[in-house]
Amino acid sequence: MKKHIVKRHGHTEPYDQRKLYASVFASLTALRTPETEAELVADKVCKHVGTWLEKKHEVTSRDLLHQAARHLEAYNSDAAFLYRHHRSVS
Amino acid sequence: MAQTKRPKAYDYDLLVIGSGSGGNVAASMVAKKGKRVAIADQAHRLGGECPNWACVPTKAILHAAEYYQKVQEAPRYGIETGKIKLNYRKVKAWKDLVVSRTGTDNAEEFFKSEGIDVLHGHAHFIDPHTVSIKNKRYTARKFLIATGTTNFIPPVKGIEDTGYITYEQAIDLEEPPKSLAVIGGGAIGCEFVQAFSTFGTTVTQFEAAPRLLAREEPEIAELTKAIFLKRGVAVKTSTLVHSVETKNGKKILHYGDGNHKGQVTVDEILVAAGKKANTDLGLENAGVEYGKRGITTNEFMQTSAKHIFAAGDVVGPYNFTHTAAYQSRVAGHNLFANKSLWQKTDYHNIPRCVFVSPEVASVGLTEAELKEHGIKPKIGLSPINTIGRSNTENHSSGLVKVICNQKGTILGGAIVAPRAGEMIHELAVAIQYRAHAHDIANMIHAFPTWSEAVKIACSKVS
Repeated sequence: MKKHIVKRHGHTEPYDQRKLYASVFASLTALRTPETEAELVADKVCKHVGTWLEKKHEVTSRDLLHQAARHLEAYNSDAAFLYRHHRSVS
Repeated sequence: MAQTKRPKAYDYDLLVIGSGSGGNVAASMVAKKGKRVAIADQAHRLGGECPNWACVPTKAILHAAEYYQKVQEAPRYGIETGKIKLNYRKVKAWKDLVVSRTGTDNAEEFFKSEGIDVLHGHAHFIDPHTVSIKNKRYTARKFLIATGTTNFIPPVKGIEDTGYITYEQAIDLEEPPKSLAVIGGGAIGCEFVQAFSTFGTTVTQFEAAPRLLAREEPEIAELTKAIFLKRGVAVKTSTLVHSVETKNGKKILHYGDGNHKGQVTVDEILVAAGKKANTDLGLENAGVEYGKRGITTNEFMQTSAKHIFAAGDVVGPYNFTHTAAYQSRVAGHNLFANKSLWQKTDYHNIPRCVFVSPEVASVGLTEAELKEHGIKPKIGLSPINTIGRSNTENHSSGLVKVICNQKGTILGGAIVAPRAGEMIHELAVAIQYRAHAHDIANMIHAFPTWSEAVKIACSKVS
């Protein structure tokens, strides 16, 4: 089932897990988290988000941010803070 | 919130998310007013939990269990039977028949006959007036959210690997398990303890709180525990299950109560440790506030987004079909009525029933809640073994508790008796019309009925 993300200005684009992975990974490495650990956590967050997305066809980028930050919080609260705030101003 | 323009024309006047009691009552009310209504549900059966997986099937199974027990007791009254045999597949077939008679198989046709469109799939808010269902977007002027709850699975180490069932699977078992651990001492847990222990399952029940039915009167909870213990159920209150493991095809639960540790080996684990609200709907995109207990509404069932209402278990404070239907009726009225005519919800007189044997029922405030409100209570208490019906039916376990203010006005009540679920409505009427205990005590009650115990309890209020 193809997933779509509704962006802030209303247009949609296909869900790309690589983009999610890269953004979570970036928020972890920005805090000098060792690369191997950052990879592991980013992977786990992507899996959680993937499970959450299972029954859904279309969600907003805000939903995605909220879900990813919520799961990231469980592994690294500083990275979650950075992820949430960096993303919300970008 | 996503920045989207309000559509010029909506697909629907009202889109209801959830087809259970919290949703369908309002959907029908609004459709009857000539509005364009759709109802969305992601479940494979329409109608919600109550008729499909909860109240109705469990009561059907409990009815069969009651007969099984009565037949076993029949020789006591001169009724001689042959060997009694349990055919559980036929019990399940009976349960399926009862569920089919609720009409949920034909729910879609019913909704269509009422002029309500049915949308299948998970609804997710994209913006305050738009939901996405299976990659298709639907807009509506107003929404009613009635998505109910799902099971809360406690964080017990190993439970996901070991496996467990919830009430949804428990109603469809082909055979009762030989041994069962029930995690949870609320209404759902107690009803399954009642059913399976009657069918011969060895049951161990765990409850983290100091008593079963923790929200009810302590006398009621203690009596229920005593009755379960007498039936041979191992009831472990103030006890936490810490971990679960599998060995030789059996499930081993490790538990502790602070002082003692223990373990029990069973064939199956039934988790009935509470429910959590289904709020994963993109509520943030619609501006709907919610918390751990569910969606926040005002007394008009309106959420923080003025055009979105919510009703049923996803709101609380009770998880009952009758409260969901009541809230849905209030929402159904308010959704398209002039605000000056809006109805308010009022929860001061909600009957609560647990269908164990004997039944447990209560209404209004508990003694503890009265004290929390700063009201010094007057209590009337009567065991049921003093009345004529107790003698003729050879049943002595039960009580009636009436809770009043200092003037004797009835504000609450609790009953344990064979027909408590029916009897409680006498006290509900009394609460509704602000009757005094002496009004009930002076009223003639038919002899010999269980309701005489209500009269006696009212006469003892002091």
